[in-house]
Order: sequence, then structure tokens, then C-alpha cells
Amino acid sequence: MAAVKETVETVGEVEKYKYGFSTEIESEKAPIGLTEDTVRYISAKKDEPEWMLEWRLEAFRRWKNMKEPTWAKVFYPTMDYQNAYYYAAPKQTVAPESLDEVDPKLLETYEKLGIPLEEQKMLAGVAVDAVFDSVSVVTTFKEKLKEAGVIFCPISEAIRDYPELVKKYLGSVVPVTDNFFATLNSAVFSDGSFVYIPKGVRCPMELSTYFRINEKQTGQFERTLIVAEEGSYVSYLEGCTAPQRDENQLHAAVVELVAMDDAEIKYSTVQNWYPGDEEGKGGIYNFVTKRGDCRGRNSKISWTQVETGSAITWKYPSCILRGDNSRGEFYSIAISNTKQQVDSGTKMIHLGKNTSSRIVSKGISAGGSSNTYRGLVSVHKKAENVRNFTQCDSLLIGDKCSAHTVPYIEAKNPTAILEHEATTSKISDEQLFYCMQRGVPEEEAVALIVNGFCRDVLQQLPMEFAVEAQKLVGISLEGSVG
Amino acid sequence: MTDAIAQSFIDTFERERDALPGAGGWLAARREAAIRELADAGLPHRRLEDWKYTDLRDVLEKAAFAPAPAHQGAVLLPEGDAGSGAALFHAIDRHKIVFVNGRLNHALSDMDGLPEGVALRPLAEALEQDWAKAAIERRFDTNPQAQSISGLNLALMADGVALHVAEGVALDKPLHLIFLAADDGASHARNLVRLEKNAQATVFETHASAGAAHYFADQVTEVSLGIGATLNHIKLQDEAAKAVHLSTMRAALSEKAKLDSFTLILGAGVSRGQTFVEFEGGEAEAHVNGAYALRGEQHADQFCVVDHAVPESNSHTHFKGVLDDRSQGIFQGKVIVRPDAQKTDGRQMTNALLLSRDASVNAKPELEIYADDVQCAHGSTIGELDKDALFYLRSRGIDEMTARQLLISAFLDEALDYAPHEEARAELKALVAGWFEAGSLSAEDIV
Repeated sequence: MAAVKETVETVGEVEKYKYGFSTEIESEKAPIGLTEDTVRYISAKKDEPEWMLEWRLEAFRRWKNMKEPTWAKVFYPTMDYQNAYYYAAPKQTVAPESLDEVDPKLLETYEKLGIPLEEQKMLAGVAVDAVFDSVSVVTTFKEKLKEAGVIFCPISEAIRDYPELVKKYLGSVVPVTDNFFATLNSAVFSDGSFVYIPKGVRCPMELSTYFRINEKQTGQFERTLIVAEEGSYVSYLEGCTAPQRDENQLHAAVVELVAMDDAEIKYSTVQNWYPGDEEGKGGIYNFVTKRGDCRGRNSKISWTQVETGSAITWKYPSCILRGDNSRGEFYSIAISNTKQQVDSGTKMIHLGKNTSSRIVSKGISAGGSSNTYRGLVSVHKKAENVRNFTQCDSLLIGDKCSAHTVPYIEAKNPTAILEHEATTSKISDEQLFYCMQRGVPEEEAVALIVNGFCRDVLQQLPMEFAVEAQKLVGISLEGSVG
Repeated sequence: MTDAIAQSFIDTFERERDALPGAGGWLAARREAAIRELADAGLPHRRLEDWKYTDLRDVLEKAAFAPAPAHQGAVLLPEGDAGSGAALFHAIDRHKIVFVNGRLNHALSDMDGLPEGVALRPLAEALEQDWAKAAIERRFDTNPQAQSISGLNLALMADGVALHVAEGVALDKPLHLIFLAADDGASHARNLVRLEKNAQATVFETHASAGAAHYFADQVTEVSLGIGATLNHIKLQDEAAKAVHLSTMRAALSEKAKLDSFTLILGAGVSRGQTFVEFEGGEAEAHVNGAYALRGEQHADQFCVVDHAVPESNSHTHFKGVLDDRSQGIFQGKVIVRPDAQKTDGRQMTNALLLSRDASVNAKPELEIYADDVQCAHGSTIGELDKDALFYLRSRGIDEMTARQLLISAFLDEALDYAPHEEARAELKALVAGWFEAGSLSAEDIV
């Protein structure tokens, strides 16, 4: 019977969502529900100064009077915000001074996820901040980065150590009152990364944050703030996974980027939250506000995202092109399968002169999923010589899925040149036939064609990510053919 | 709470209900229901997604139109006045029907002389026809967007014509519906068009002023095409500069039917043109195209939804516009492909040319697709005149003004070429040429 066992094991290994395990670790949580006390609890846990608590409470008071947005093309049962935990952290009596003091179970978890935290084992040139539920477990290469003058630390640490910087920039791109989920995040955000690149510094390595939701019935509210001072450059990567559960968990993050004169920020995401099962049970609700502010002249912000996970994605990484000659880019692959729902896109707000933006969005829907691109290109009156190019292509695999495109194009200046094009089609039979006739099995052929379809975007990813993303594209579409 | 402007329409309804066509018949209850819905919902405003760029409630509230009176005295058709929109299609041999203030004017119209199999009746006389009743009672439950403002027209429609073409019959010459506003105020008209199997017709519409300056023209046209029927439709909207024009065309296409519609928009202070096409049979084809040229404070909103509910139908939508001064142009389009509508071909395109620093354009071309074996695409471009092209012409000794005019008319010509009637197309082109001459393309505009 050994052979049978082996087969079972093999099948287990190729299971679609390999990050679906959960870690048995003792954790401490805030009392269930969301009240002012919860906000105070989180703030106290993080040992925050008074101003931060006030900031949170202000957000919470506002949030109480706000309504959940309903305009997106996603459907889900009403969420009970009082039946969730807003803070969960692995129990640890003393803060770890070094990696040796970190709970081995946590290290094991990250090992299993393919994110080794021991520096010597790491891919050279990538520093990682590992966030587990509501706290940052460890940040690697901190010292080495410090030598270059780069600050890379959990945001809770930054609030304590660099209050002036945080005060200056937090909420300056995504205001506290921005939208329902951003305001909720402002009230209860727990951890995330803070990056500060000083003037003229080219960050010596890729920075990366790995988010992991582990605890049941919790929400994750990450907050990331990246500030690139004049003439600096940083490339930042973000990855995320969660255990396989029947319940829906909320992930409401806020990411703010600030690029000053001649600075460049490259932000890449591989989002692989648990998408729910075949019937659409469980999975993460990913309701995220991401926005970059090209504040300085000649600044550049580039978003690249590969969205394969989440039961529902509600996400519009945007660029405010304020500085003259600034540039915004958005490259996206959104893959949905089974009962996943994606409503994602970008906003390019052109305020400065000679600003340009480029949007390349590739949506792939399979199974019974729904995939919507929603985007805005807006040219304000004083923005001279604006240039935008938008391309959104949708690929449909199977006749039970749907693909939608909802672009808004608003021009208030005649010197703008705006181009938008979108197509929707399926994989052509000729292409499939060509591959299969040369001995490529159908599923592989589909993955191959899809990878070709996504090529423009995959090329934008840093090398380590591109390899992973390519595999992910194949895995996400498993079972969608035939 | 009912907003003030909705209330004024409700008051009009209460006052005029007994004199409206169909009073005491089946239509009375429909009107009643429609006005109640309007009372509950109010008029559409910018917080509703479909009206994001045109706040109709605000526009009508500011204008505060009273109902237009029945016109007293004679109306002179401006037929001799070449270059005026109201005189368009005068030279074409056609059946002519004239409305003044939204009411059929028998003296100016020729309702007779139609070939056998073609019936043209005033709305009031058509109400007991089964097809007319079906057209008015048609619900758009799968597509509520087609319903949003038509209730106002249903409640208050005072007149209109019903055209019925029997199986296999072709209307001998175009039917020209001329809507003239002679007095200020609000008018509501409804036209019905039914082409039976393999029937053919060409319909022109002209909307213009004959003396009125400050008016609201609200019009709904219901089109129903039988198997293999073909309707060619050309509409010119050249209302007065302070007028508000609201028109809705809803078309249902059976198998192998073809709708070819073209709209030219030159007039009105605020206009909103809505087109809804529903495919009910395969191998049908719909072309909804148009062009607009705006100046001053003009605001024109084109809203077009094409709903592919069955397999194997094609649609093509293309709107081009030029905007001068402080004008605003809007194109909102949507192609829906329902789950079973395989082998659909849906195309949508919009281009806009901004001629002035203060003009603006908003475009929202949407795709909503639930079937996989389809070819759907949309595109949108916005920009100003190509400097290289301008330089090319200038370098060959053409003065700047002429060069600009050449480029603009070349741009609009592409759209005008869609007009599905040769002579009418030539007249539309001549009219657009006049737009430039009368225009503000003066030297100080040239930057």
C-alpha cells in the first residue's frame, strides 16, 4: 500500500493552495469587537505616544459614521465588524533582540512559506520584514541598511523611534477620512513597514515585507509608509498568504508612498491570499487602499501587481502626479478562478505639467469568477502636455466567468494626449491547437499562452518575483480547462 | 422627499392628465404609476453613476420650465434658409411630419400619400393597436438603465407618431420628423416605430427651434424591428443655445434585423442623448454612431448601452466630437454580453478633439462580459490638433485657419461617413462646414 500512500502524498503536494496551513502558536488577542477600548488596547500594546492614540481615536469616531462602499462590482454578505479580533500577536514575553530569540515555530512557518529569515541563507540583496498577524516578527538586514542611511523597520517601531518623520507623512497621501476601509485601518492598524530613503541614496538592496494572517477570526490591518527623499531610489516587494479556512477574513491595508524630486519608488506585489474553495467558501476579503504621491519634480512611482489570491479584491493602487514631469506606472495581472471576485484598477491624477502615465492591465478570469478593471485617468486644468496610455485586456477561460472594464477618462486640458484601448476575448482555438499538436498538454498550453498574454507585466517584476509569479499564474488556473 | 422640479412635473400631470392621450384607457394607469415612481425617485442627479457628468435635476431646476403651450398662429418652416439646421433635408424627396412644441401640426405635415402597408398615425390614435401598446408597456427589467428617466415622458407624453410597416414592405422615401419649438416651455413627445418581418424604412429626425429660446424638449422613441427588418435612422439635434434636449431611443432587434443610426449634435445648451439596443435574435446588427461639434457653454452627453442577450449579433458604436470655448462633451458607452451570447462582436470607439483651453471631455466606455467566445473591444482617444499635421499643411502654403478647418473636418468626416443615406450625408457635411465658418476659430484662438 506504500504506492497508494505515495500517490496521496504527491497529490497533497500539488494541492493548489500550498500556503493553506496554519501555525499552532499561542497568541494574545484584543477582546473581540471594535470599540474605543479596542483602539486604546492596540495603541497601548504598541506602546504608542499620545498623539498616535488621538489620531487613531479621531479616525475611529469618523469611521463609526461612515458607510461601507457599494459601487464595486463585488458581492458579499454584510460583514459583522463586531465579531472579529482586531489584534492578534504571537505570545512572546520579551521582544527578540536577535533572530535567535524569535520563537522557532515562527521561523519554521516562514521557512515553510519559502521565506527564510536567517540572513546568511537569504537571497542576497533582499531585506525582509516579516509580519505575522498584527506584529512584525523580525526585520532582516536592518544594520546593513542603516549604514546606507536607509530606515527599514516595522511601523510601530518607527512611531516610537522616528515620530517626526511618521507625523509628517502618515495620512498625507491617504487622509484619515479617505474611505470606509482606509479610515477603519487608520483606527486599528497594527503593523506594516516603514521605509525612509534619505536624499541621494540608492537603496542597496530590495526591501520586502511578507504578510501572513494566521489566527482565526482576525482581520489584518497593515500600514505601510514609504518616503523617498530627493534623488533616491527604492524597490519594494510585498508578498502575502493566509491559512485555508471556511470563514472570510478581512485584510484592509493602507499603503502610502511619497516620492520627492527625482526620486523613484518601485512597488511590487504578489498577492496570494487564500482565495476560498471551489464553492467560494472562505477566503480573504482584500480591501486595500494604495496610493502614491509624486510630490517632487521628475519623480516616478511604479506599481506592479500580480493578484491571484483573495476571495474578493478591492484595490486601486493610484498615483497623484503632482510634481512637474513626474511619471506614474501601473502594471497589473489579475487572475480569478472559482468564485473569486476582483474589482481592481488604478487612478492616475495628473496635476503637474508634462506628467505621464502608463497603465497595462491584464485580467484573466476562469471558473465562475468575476474580474473587473476600474480605472480613472484625470487631467486637471493646469496640467499641460499630459500623456497617458492605457491598455486593458481581458482573457476569458470558460463560459461561466465574466470580465468587465470600467474606465473613466476625464480631460480638462487640450494639450493632453490620452489613449485608451481594451479588448476582451478567449484563448483562440488555433493557439491551443498549435501547442497541443506539438505535444504540450492542454493545461500547460493554457498556462503558456496566458504567460505570453501577461508578458508585458511579468517583465516589470524584479527577477526573484517574476519566477514565482510565473508559476503562480499556472497554478491559479489549474482545473480551469476541460 | 420629492424635489421641487419633480413636484412641478407632478403638478403638470395633475392639471393635464384628463386631456392627455389615452385618458380613461389602459394608459392612464401606466401614467399614474410612472409619475408616482418619479415622485419617489426624483430627477436624476450627479450622485447617480449614470448621471455623474450631467446633473439633470440641477439643470432643470435652474431653468424652471413651465409646460409649453399649444402654439397659436402659423409657423413658417425655415426651408429657404440654407445653412440652418431646421432647413436640412429640404431638398430630399421625403414624407414630412412636423411637430410644433411637441404637438403634431397637421397643416404642415403630409400624413397621406404613403404606400400600401405603411401606417402612420398620431400617437393618440395608435394606442389601441396591439403593437403600439406592447411598445409602450415594454419593461426593461434586465436593464434598469433604460428606464431611469423615461417615466417622465411616459407620464406626460402629449403627442407623437406611430409608424408601422407591414411584412416585406419598404417605405418608398424617407420619413422626416421635424420637431420645432415655437414657444418656451417643456414638451414631451413619444414616437413608435415597428417594422415587421423584412420591412424597410429610413427615418430622419430634426430637432430645432422656430422662435423659442428657452425650452425643454423631452422625447422617447421606441423601435422594434422584426426578423430581417432594416431601419436607417439619421438624427440632427440643432436646438437653440439655451434649450435642454433629452432624448431616449430604445430599440429591440429580432433575428437578422439591422439598425443603422447616426446622430449629429450641434445644438442645445444641455443635451443628453440616450440609446439602448437590445438584441433578441441572432445575426442582427446595430450601428449607433454620431458626431458632435460644441462651442460656447454647450454641454452634450451621449449615453449608449448595447445589450447582447442572444448569441451571434454584432454592434458598432463610434462617436467623434470637437469641442471649442468652454464646452463639455461626454461619452458613456457600455457593451453588455450576457452569459449565452456567444460569438458576439462588440466594438465601441470614441474620439474627441479639444480646440480650446477651457473645453473638457469625459469618456467612460464600459465592457460587461459574461460569455467567453466573443470579440469585444473599445477605445478612446482625447487630444488636440496634431501639430505635425498642422505644420505639414502650413509648410505647403495653407494659412493656419484653413489648415485647422481642414484637419477638423477631416476628423469629423470619418464619423459623418456613417450616416446611412447618401444625400442626407452630403447635407450633414455641408452643415458641419457651416459650423466652422460661423465658428469662433478666430485668430486670437490660435495658439
